[in-house]
Amino acid sequence: MALAIRRYNDILCATKWFIRRDCRVFSTLPETVEQYPKPQVVKEQRSSRIRANASNPKLAYRQIYPEFLPDPNPKWRNSLREKLERADMLKRRSQIDIPEFYVGSILAVTVADPHAQGKVTKFVGICIERKGCGLRAEFTLRNVVDHQGVEVRYDLYDPTVQKIQVLRLEKRLDDKLFYLRDALPEYSTFAFDMDPEILPEGTPVPVNAVQVILKPRPWLERWERQELKGVANIEEHLKEKDRVRRELRATPWEKYDLMKTYRKTIPVEDQNKIWAEVNSQLEQLQLTRKKMSRKRIFNTPKVQLG
Amino acid sequence: MATTNLNILRNALNKLRIDHVFTRSFQTPKFRPPHWYLPKDRVGSEESLTQENKKFIEEVMQERMKAQAMLETESPLSNIDTSQTAQWNPLTRRVGLIARKIGNYPLWSKDGKKVQTTLLQVVDNHVIKYIPPEEFNPMIIRKPVWKEKKKLGCLLVGAETIDPSTVTKEYCGLFNQVGMLPKRILCRFMVSPNACLPSGTPLFATHFRVGDHIDIRSKTMDRGFQGVMKRWGFKGMPASHGVTKTHRRPGNIGAGGEKARVWPGTKMPGHMGNRWRTLRGVKILRINVKHNVIWTLGVAIPGETGAMCYLFDTVLPLKKHKTSPPFPTQPLIKDLPLEYYDESIQPFDNNSITFEET
Repeated sequence: MALAIRRYNDILCATKWFIRRDCRVFSTLPETVEQYPKPQVVKEQRSSRIRANASNPKLAYRQIYPEFLPDPNPKWRNSLREKLERADMLKRRSQIDIPEFYVGSILAVTVADPHAQGKVTKFVGICIERKGCGLRAEFTLRNVVDHQGVEVRYDLYDPTVQKIQVLRLEKRLDDKLFYLRDALPEYSTFAFDMDPEILPEGTPVPVNAVQVILKPRPWLERWERQELKGVANIEEHLKEKDRVRRELRATPWEKYDLMKTYRKTIPVEDQNKIWAEVNSQLEQLQLTRKKMSRKRIFNTPKVQLG
Repeated sequence: MATTNLNILRNALNKLRIDHVFTRSFQTPKFRPPHWYLPKDRVGSEESLTQENKKFIEEVMQERMKAQAMLETESPLSNIDTSQTAQWNPLTRRVGLIARKIGNYPLWSKDGKKVQTTLLQVVDNHVIKYIPPEEFNPMIIRKPVWKEKKKLGCLLVGAETIDPSTVTKEYCGLFNQVGMLPKRILCRFMVSPNACLPSGTPLFATHFRVGDHIDIRSKTMDRGFQGVMKRWGFKGMPASHGVTKTHRRPGNIGAGGEKARVWPGTKMPGHMGNRWRTLRGVKILRINVKHNVIWTLGVAIPGETGAMCYLFDTVLPLKKHKTSPPFPTQPLIKDLPLEYYDESIQPFDNNSITFEET
């Protein structure tokens, strides 16, 4: 019976995978990860302030380069330190191409390692977390290697990182994908020899609406309390007790807590200053990246022919 | 007989005099307050100021700021001729710097290791006054001291220029004597007489070199009245298993018997932090010349972000200067490189680190 369920799950998963990959372009699902409306989406009727935000392309940077915004804790703010930190980040970015990626994207990271065989290691995995401000920015990759889950945390600005390559650029429904640790292993298994999927220029970042299937309990965290959108079968494993406690522990008022959101965000005026400071250099880096990607497109057919 | 009795009576009555009875012994203070220790904060009322007066004050302020800025670039004080002055030897003591702690962020070493650093900004430091050792006598001494001591002079250094109208006249007077604007921080550095500097000399972050070790003195974070677990790291007691009302308490504080009292120095709850502490032997990893910022190894520098720190040459015997540092200080040079890195640190604009196969 269990085997049958497992097989059924496998088929379900495979069909979902197939459907997702084919219909990704036509997907009309709302982008929940993105909180601010994009310029194309914004209509004329919107209030002038929102329009001002959306028409400012610099504010789109907060999605692509979240680590350029400092930690909002006022105890740690200092304008000079933030400026020096940003200058160092740009210096590092001029040496290595750090591409745009999100939680849920699949990355390949090559790192210099004195203990490895060829003094270089490559790891492929799905980005399950991205956090930290400034030079402390870090991300975590997860993969399943030989039936064993592996997670590696990388510093984004570590000079031992040789190359960061985005194999599949996409977003997921949640901000953190820690639930993949309790999900079936096929959701976090990726081949190390995966080919990069190149999106046509100008397309918005696709949102992968896949819902993972969790393994039965015990779990590492109480997933049912976290309002996850990317989990399909969370209710199956819950008892009545868990549902009651979820209701008790819920904090539905928090999204209306203006002070809380204020303390967790950098004000728009500060952001404008920051983006104005780094804008020109970031644009130049983007231009060089585009040139490089064109070269890559030109090169690929040659390889295939050979 | 009668006279002796009378004498005894007179003595007894004498002792009964109220002005004869000492209730508290008076001790003379050991130190006299330094002459620059003056009331600083001024409670001024802006009401009597007219618009014209305000404008005038602003104008004067602007002019004086300009004059001080000129001092840094054009004054002969900033171009100290190092060959003329006395030579450095391991026993001389140089002046230190006043810096502000502005935060922490990681750097990477050349072998790929991540090191946490603290950033210290040297803010607008100027020498205010030098008091030679003969005139500098903070101790009140009754008896003459015959033993000759190694005498150090006192160098006053100020940091962060402020608006003169916000401080008292007496405090302003200290700076007016040497033609400077008043500073928010005024600090005393004990220096060897040959390391003295003329007043008005600007001090920069290049006073120290990359790779040097320094001592950093500042006030620790104020944590208020704290219990024994946070203040002294006691273990406390279990949360359960029948323990009631004693989860974070110290437990026993002394034994009975002969020593039936609390011994002096017993670790107890009390005020934690806001104390002067010195962290010795901190390595300098990187220096920014333009913004006068020093990157130091480690995050253990006392105080929160924005705290003032005093930086000295280290006194640790193994980490002391082996060769002569900039003596008496590094003058302003126009065409210095923007940044200095320690040889163990990987600059961010270098290529990525690769390891050679052996």
